[in-house]
Amino acid sequence: MSLSYKVIKPLLQTVNGKFSRWFSFFGMGLGVLLLLCSIQMFINIQQLLKGKATPKNGFDYIAVTKKVTNETMGQTEKNLFNETDIAGLKAQSFIYDIAPLISTNFELELSGGTILPFRTNLFLEAIRPDFLDTLPPDFNWREGKSMIPIIVSSDFLEVFNVFAPAYGYSQISRETASGIPVVITCYGADGSKEDFSAKIVAFSDRINSTLAPISFIEWANQKFGGQKATHYSRLYIKTKDANNPALLNFLDHKGYEVNKEKTRFGRVKQVMQGIFTGLGLFGLMVVILSLLLFSFYLQLIIAKSKENLQLLLSIGYSPRWLGKQIAGQMVPAYIFIILFALAVTIVLQFVFYHSLMNSRPELSAMVSIYVIAVALLLLLLAILANFKMLRIRLAKLS
Amino acid sequence: MQLEIHSILPSYFDESKKNLSEVWGKELLIKKGEFIKILAPSGSGKTSLIHFLYGLRKDYTGSILLNERNISSYSPEDWAACRKNNISIVFQDMRLFSKQTVAENIEIKRQLNPYHPAEKIKEMTIRLGIGEKLQSKCETCSYGEQQRVSIIRSLMQPFDFLLMDEPFSHLDDNNSKKAMELIIEESKIRNASIILVNLERVDYFPFSRLLHL
Repeated sequence: MSLSYKVIKPLLQTVNGKFSRWFSFFGMGLGVLLLLCSIQMFINIQQLLKGKATPKNGFDYIAVTKKVTNETMGQTEKNLFNETDIAGLKAQSFIYDIAPLISTNFELELSGGTILPFRTNLFLEAIRPDFLDTLPPDFNWREGKSMIPIIVSSDFLEVFNVFAPAYGYSQISRETASGIPVVITCYGADGSKEDFSAKIVAFSDRINSTLAPISFIEWANQKFGGQKATHYSRLYIKTKDANNPALLNFLDHKGYEVNKEKTRFGRVKQVMQGIFTGLGLFGLMVVILSLLLFSFYLQLIIAKSKENLQLLLSIGYSPRWLGKQIAGQMVPAYIFIILFALAVTIVLQFVFYHSLMNSRPELSAMVSIYVIAVALLLLLLAILANFKMLRIRLAKLS
Repeated sequence: MQLEIHSILPSYFDESKKNLSEVWGKELLIKKGEFIKILAPSGSGKTSLIHFLYGLRKDYTGSILLNERNISSYSPEDWAACRKNNISIVFQDMRLFSKQTVAENIEIKRQLNPYHPAEKIKEMTIRLGIGEKLQSKCETCSYGEQQRVSIIRSLMQPFDFLLMDEPFSHLDDNNSKKAMELIIEESKIRNASIILVNLERVDYFPFSRLLHL
């Protein structure tokens, strides 16, 4: 036969003041809701930004150029980065890696060949493959190969589609653009010229340029330009946070320019995350306060029923069992409050996803698994904390 | 199971108390099945001794060993297990839940480690003359009735030692004898030892050893 709480229940004096008890329930519910919603919003922001800022492996990649002023205009050397500049940047702790955009040092032309009647001057650049946000397996070139794979900035296609109708061209999709064969003509300083066929193999959201494999650019610079590139107009920096004030100060001090849109976005991200971290901490504080209120409530029960509890302990009732029974009275309330807050969070996320965010693919209509894990952890902590506190109090009485 | 008492003395007693006592400052070994009677005048520390043996107080020098383990090392959980399985008690001041009925008071103890079925409560209360009081709140019972409730409560569990602190102080001879018979009967079923501490001689207690405190 197991011990029944029913028999000893009348011996435990309940505490008057239903208002304070309901107030604690309400406070805890509100705190848990705030905490869970903040975590969910924090995760939502992370997911939204992941799509926009294209952080690769948790890093931000930002482009850096030298500021062209009236004084430096026309002095190419002063407006380009050299190896010393790169070494100076590399030495900074907040810069994890750096790669130059190597540009062509000769004239080249892009044409539609015999299929499309267009011709334009062009530049090609190259960057280390690990700095690319998208790297198709066929993005490589070796000497003797007549096909050059090209990665084009997504923005270029967007711009083309904006002005195309005005020139009587039809707008084109990414898929169609990838299928168009084009011809790249390279002109050497000595008057030589060579045609290559080219194909768009990918679009980059990160790098605003027309990119060719690094092996091609190095080979072509040597062949048509007569020398290897040693100066670079743009560098890409790999950093943990594009919005790091130390990084921005350093770049300002050096007179370098960064992608303002990206850092502004980073600043917004930081502010948003700060707000939700603050809200989450506030929620956590409210949860802790309401747990404290519950704990006071239980301590009051012990104080009011001290004599009966002492007698129960002296006739052989275990402090552990008594603690479990008294703390157990709160468990259904805890379960209800936390599950209710979780249910409200689920509904809010659903509404947020469908109504406010128009079912954006980066987000999910369901709450994150972390939110559910935090809710369960809170429940476990609340139960364990009360049980432990009661056991200690009862052991002192025995 | 055995109880060893090694030279114990309440810390607030003078060392000279050891000279006249057969308990304080002495070596005692109490085995299961023994009936010990301790005769003690007022102020000699009767209740203190019972409380030391039951683990309610620790303000003594010397040591008490239960089954070769010093009881000073017992945790609250160890004491709970011991009071549930090995040692039962009849307090001098009864210590009943005054707002609960007689039946509830006994059931609270019985359900802890049921040695007897619930029907035994009624049988025992009838035997000790408080059968009609089962549904009365303890605060409405006389001291004599409360004392009998306290005795029956102590017999609801298994035990190796039954400690009794002036258990018949509010009972007349007739009721005391009835209670004594029941206690002896229950102790013999369990082959348990009784340690009875009293102010004066209780002639109807068939002790195997008499000690003066």
